[in-house]
Amino acid sequence: MTDQLTYPDVVALAVPFFIAAILIELTWILIKRRGGRYETLDAVTSLIMGAGNVASGIILGFITFGFLMVLWELTPLDLGTSIWVIALCFVLDDLRYYWVHRFGHRIRWVWASHVNHHSSQHYNLTTALRQTWTGTFTFMMVVRAPLILLGFHPAMVLFCGGLNLIYQFWIHTEAIGRMPRWFEAVMNTPSHHRVHHGRNPRYLDANYAGVFIIWDKLFGTFVPELDEEKPDYGLVQNLGTFNPIRVAFHEWVGIFKDVVQPGITWRDRLNYCIQPPGWSHDGSRDTSEAIKAKHLERNPEDRGTAGFEGG
Amino acid sequence: MPLEILGPMVVLGIAGIALLLHLTGQTAPMRFETEDDARRAWLREHGEDAPGTVLVAANGRAALLRLGSGALGLVTIMGADPAARYLTGASWETTTKGLRIRPPDFAAPRFDIALSEEDRAAWLALKDQTT
Ligand SMILES: [Zn+2]
Ligand SMILES: [Zn+2]
Repeated sequence: MTDQLTYPDVVALAVPFFIAAILIELTWILIKRRGGRYETLDAVTSLIMGAGNVASGIILGFITFGFLMVLWELTPLDLGTSIWVIALCFVLDDLRYYWVHRFGHRIRWVWASHVNHHSSQHYNLTTALRQTWTGTFTFMMVVRAPLILLGFHPAMVLFCGGLNLIYQFWIHTEAIGRMPRWFEAVMNTPSHHRVHHGRNPRYLDANYAGVFIIWDKLFGTFVPELDEEKPDYGLVQNLGTFNPIRVAFHEWVGIFKDVVQPGITWRDRLNYCIQPPGWSHDGSRDTSEAIKAKHLERNPEDRGTAGFEGG
Repeated sequence: MPLEILGPMVVLGIAGIALLLHLTGQTAPMRFETEDDARRAWLREHGEDAPGTVLVAANGRAALLRLGSGALGLVTIMGADPAARYLTGASWETTTKGLRIRPPDFAAPRFDIALSEEDRAAWLALKDQTT
C-alpha cells in the first residue's frame, strides 16, 4: 500500500534558499543600481504574508489533504511512484495550476484569495513570497481531483504543487531581462511573469502559467513583454495600507459588503461572488474587459496588438 | 522541517532583511514635489476623472484633489509608491498634527495627514466647497 507515502515538505525546506536569494538580489540591485527596487515596508509585508501562508497551510492543510485522501480511497487506479509517474504528475499538476490561477483572476471568490499576491507595487523576490492566507476557502482543491482519480497519490500531487511554487520564486525579479529564446518559448520566465503582474490594460489577465508558458499559448492567454511598455506593477486600485490582516482579507470584506447591500436581487448577490473582479450590478465599476475597451477608445492604434486582440 | 527550526528561521530572516533594507536606505518614502506629481499619481489609477484643484501637503506626503466629476480624491504615499482614493463617504477629523481622514474602505482605512494650520484650513475649505 502507498497510503503512507511521504515526500519532503519542499516549501519549508526552501526557506533558507529563499532568504539567501533575496540577499543576493538585493546586493545586486544595490551594487548595480538597476535590475529592480526594494522598499522596507513593502518587503516586510510580503515576507509576513509568506510566513502566514505557510502557517495557514499548517493549520488548514488537513482540509485539502483529507479531501484528496477521500478521493484516493474511492479511486481504483494507482499509477505507483516511479520517476516517470512523478514527472507526468508534475506536468499535469502544472496544467492544474494554470486553470486554478486563471479562475483566480476571473472568479471574484477565488480572486479574493489570490489578489494578495498582486497587491505589491514592487516586483522582486519578496513579491514571490506574498502568498494568500485564505486559499483553502476558495475550494480550488477540487481542481486537483482528476489527478487523484487518475491514480496519482495525494502526497505526490502536493509535492509537485510545492515544486511548482518553488520554481515560480526565481521568476519574480527585474534583475533578469530575457532568458535564451528556446527557454522563453517553453518555460515561464521573469519576462513572462512581469507581464502577469502588470496593471497596464494591455497586460491584464495574461500569462497564468506556473512552470510551462505553453499553457497560455495553447489557451490563448499569452501576451509577450513589450520593450516599449514597461509593466506597472500592482493592482488596478492599489492598497492604502501595509497591515497584513487588511492585505489578506480586504477583498473578502469587499465581497461581503457587496453581497449584503440592500436593494439588489439574489442573482446580483451571487454574481458579486462568481463574476470577474470589477463586476457590479449597476455597471458602476470596471472589469478588465471594460478597462481594455476604455483604453482602446483612447488609444485606437493599439487595437489588434498584443493583449488587445479581443477588442 | 521541525517547527522549532522553521519558526525562528522565518522570524530572524524577516527581521534581518528588514534591518538590512532600512540600513541601506531602502525605507525611502516618496514625496509629491509638485502638483503635477500628485495629478499623475491620481490619473494612474483613475484616468477618466481629471483633477482640477490640487492641494499638496507641505511635507509632500499627501495631496487633496478636486476632480472633474465633482468628487474629492486623495493621493498618499505607500512606501516608494503612491496610492489614490476617492473620499466619497469619508469621515474627517481634526488632529493636533493636521487631519485624520477615514475612507469607507477596508483596504485604505485611515490616513493621518500632517498639515500646517493654514494648509488644514485650505483642505477643509475645499472639502466644504465640494460636499
Ligand atoms: Zn495572478
Ligand atoms: Zn507572481
